[in-house]
Amino acid sequence: MNVLECAGLVKAFDDLVAVDDVGFHIAAGETYGLLGPNGAGKTTSISMIAGILESDAGTVTVGGTEITTHTTEGKAQIGYVPQDIAIYPDLSARENLRFFGKLYGLPKEQLDLRIDEVLEVIGLADRSDDRTDEYSGGMKRRLNIGIGLLHEPSLLILDEPTVGVDPQSRNAILEGVEALGHSGTAVLYTTHYMEEAERLCDRVAIIDGGKIRAEGTRRELVELVGQRDTVNLGVVGSAPRLVEALQPISEIESISAAEASVEILVEGASELLPRILDTAQQANVGISGVEVVEPNLESVFLHLTGKALRD
Amino acid sequence: MKALAITAVNVRRMLRDPSTIFFVFIFPMLLILVIGAAFGGGFEPKVGVLDEGGGPFASEFVAEIVENEDFDAIDYDDRKLLLEDVERGVANMGVIVPVDYDERLSTGEVAEVEFVGRLDQSVVQYRSTIEAIAANQSAVFRAARLVEDEGLASFDAAVQSAQLVAAGPIGTDVARESTGESVFGENLGQFDLGAPSNLILFVFLTSLAGSAALINTRRLGVSRRMVSTPTSIGQILVGETGGRFAIAMIQGLFIMIGAAVAFEVRWGNLLGAAVLLILIALVGAGGGMLMGAIFDNDEQAGSMGVFIGLGLAALGGCMFPLEIFPETMVKVAHITPHAWGLDGFAELIRRGGTVADILVEIAVLAGFAVLLLALGTWRLREKLTH
Repeated sequence: MNVLECAGLVKAFDDLVAVDDVGFHIAAGETYGLLGPNGAGKTTSISMIAGILESDAGTVTVGGTEITTHTTEGKAQIGYVPQDIAIYPDLSARENLRFFGKLYGLPKEQLDLRIDEVLEVIGLADRSDDRTDEYSGGMKRRLNIGIGLLHEPSLLILDEPTVGVDPQSRNAILEGVEALGHSGTAVLYTTHYMEEAERLCDRVAIIDGGKIRAEGTRRELVELVGQRDTVNLGVVGSAPRLVEALQPISEIESISAAEASVEILVEGASELLPRILDTAQQANVGISGVEVVEPNLESVFLHLTGKALRD
Repeated sequence: MKALAITAVNVRRMLRDPSTIFFVFIFPMLLILVIGAAFGGGFEPKVGVLDEGGGPFASEFVAEIVENEDFDAIDYDDRKLLLEDVERGVANMGVIVPVDYDERLSTGEVAEVEFVGRLDQSVVQYRSTIEAIAANQSAVFRAARLVEDEGLASFDAAVQSAQLVAAGPIGTDVARESTGESVFGENLGQFDLGAPSNLILFVFLTSLAGSAALINTRRLGVSRRMVSTPTSIGQILVGETGGRFAIAMIQGLFIMIGAAVAFEVRWGNLLGAAVLLILIALVGAGGGMLMGAIFDNDEQAGSMGVFIGLGLAALGGCMFPLEIFPETMVKVAHITPHAWGLDGFAELIRRGGTVADILVEIAVLAGFAVLLLALGTWRLREKLTH
């Protein structure tokens, strides 16, 4: 069953159309990525999904309940973690959690319990009563996420949660998101880091200029644009002779030789690699090294939009 | 309950800021004290009195000073200490009755009383009162001397007779009659004029400058995060408004109660004063909400809040009494809620008015509150969801 369904979302700011006909769905336990560069429309899209920004058109339902800025029903199922660290700096972590817990309508006893649990999960139990303006950036970021988890939402929306975070905290955040997916929480994750989308997301939407350009699993996206694996062979001997020997293999799409290496573009490199190595042996060409480069979302994005993710 | 949580978090944040504590609670009280001490009515100068001889005539002279309502007398038995206290301002002036006071008067000589004071105008004017007391006593002795010289009685007997005559209803007294109305009313306490002005000034100032906290909450993204929770926009707006209102009420109540306890300020009809305070706090909250929704930079809003707050206070009569404004300026002053608030308090404090006497002021302040709150919440709603 889909936890989130959104369709036809449109948002314009004066003449600028920030989001244009965005729609997708997320099932329970699924992690869905919105991958795109800054200004692609990710934050505007999830702001409408979280019910904090009025859309010009389109619908959002979470758990079957429609979400708008004016509805409160259904929002209890959403945990929203904004890109900005949206906490009170002059309150402690515990006070921040208590405040938002009240807004989520948690009963006092449950709230007390959940605050302690979340503080443990985000690793701030021993600093829970310190003012948050005394925290490091990573600690604030973890509290920012913790607030979104407090009421155990069925949909967690994370807007670029690792921006400006040190590698250690980043890894902790990514591990936490992976665990959430396994626990059955639907996760909507926006990022402009290709590695994060590849690591975390079951399905990814590539968004640019306010439009979703493509959507699917990593493999589906790669296949969608016809990307192939690249096999780089280090050659001891005659590279042209190896090229000649490999020409009859029909699965090879293209092949090119340099002074001491051969680059082969092929579909399904892992299955074809033994045959390529056998052919090299039969052609009496030594192989000094093998590198298989699978196509990634970066190259898909480049193919779809004509620009790099970090442009 | 959710609105209450938002209100409570606003109050908690305000109370946690040490600089706010000073400007919200301590500074207004200091200002009431300073203004009341400098310009307020009911000032009673302290006169230090040293009776070096202790004879009956000297004691009688001292008793006249002690009983005089213009002075607050302090008894001294050490000349050096008296002089030091006058120098330090503990006593505003000193009167020293010499050791031979009684002897000189009894023998028909002139007894010199020392008047010690610093060279300031207000003290010099009280010297004439001391001289009048001395002149009264001298008149008794002159009369007694005359009786003795005429051989009608002994000096001591004549003094006793003259004293009895002096105490009776004889002689010339200057009766004082008032015409027209007193500018500030009768029986105005020393701090009664400054306390309402400062209450209104600071409640508005804090509310307007406090708009920075609302902008800060927006800029941090906390406001939008609130919208993402199952909390209606209405509850958020009520909570934020409640926060501004609660802070204004806390400050207003503190000034009101503090001034009543510490400076014996009489606020007049309690219900009327409470209604005025609530309305002033609501107008302040509305102003704070509007500024918090209009501006996007908290530092800019804080500075503008202070500027606007002080400007409106000056225009509205919180810095100089409306009663000394020219007629045109009084009309201009009433474009501010401050002037209406001051009018209301003036009616309650100085003229013993009740709620029924300040209905116009209540209506105008309520109008200000409704207008500002409506504009503020409308703008904030737009900011939160667009």
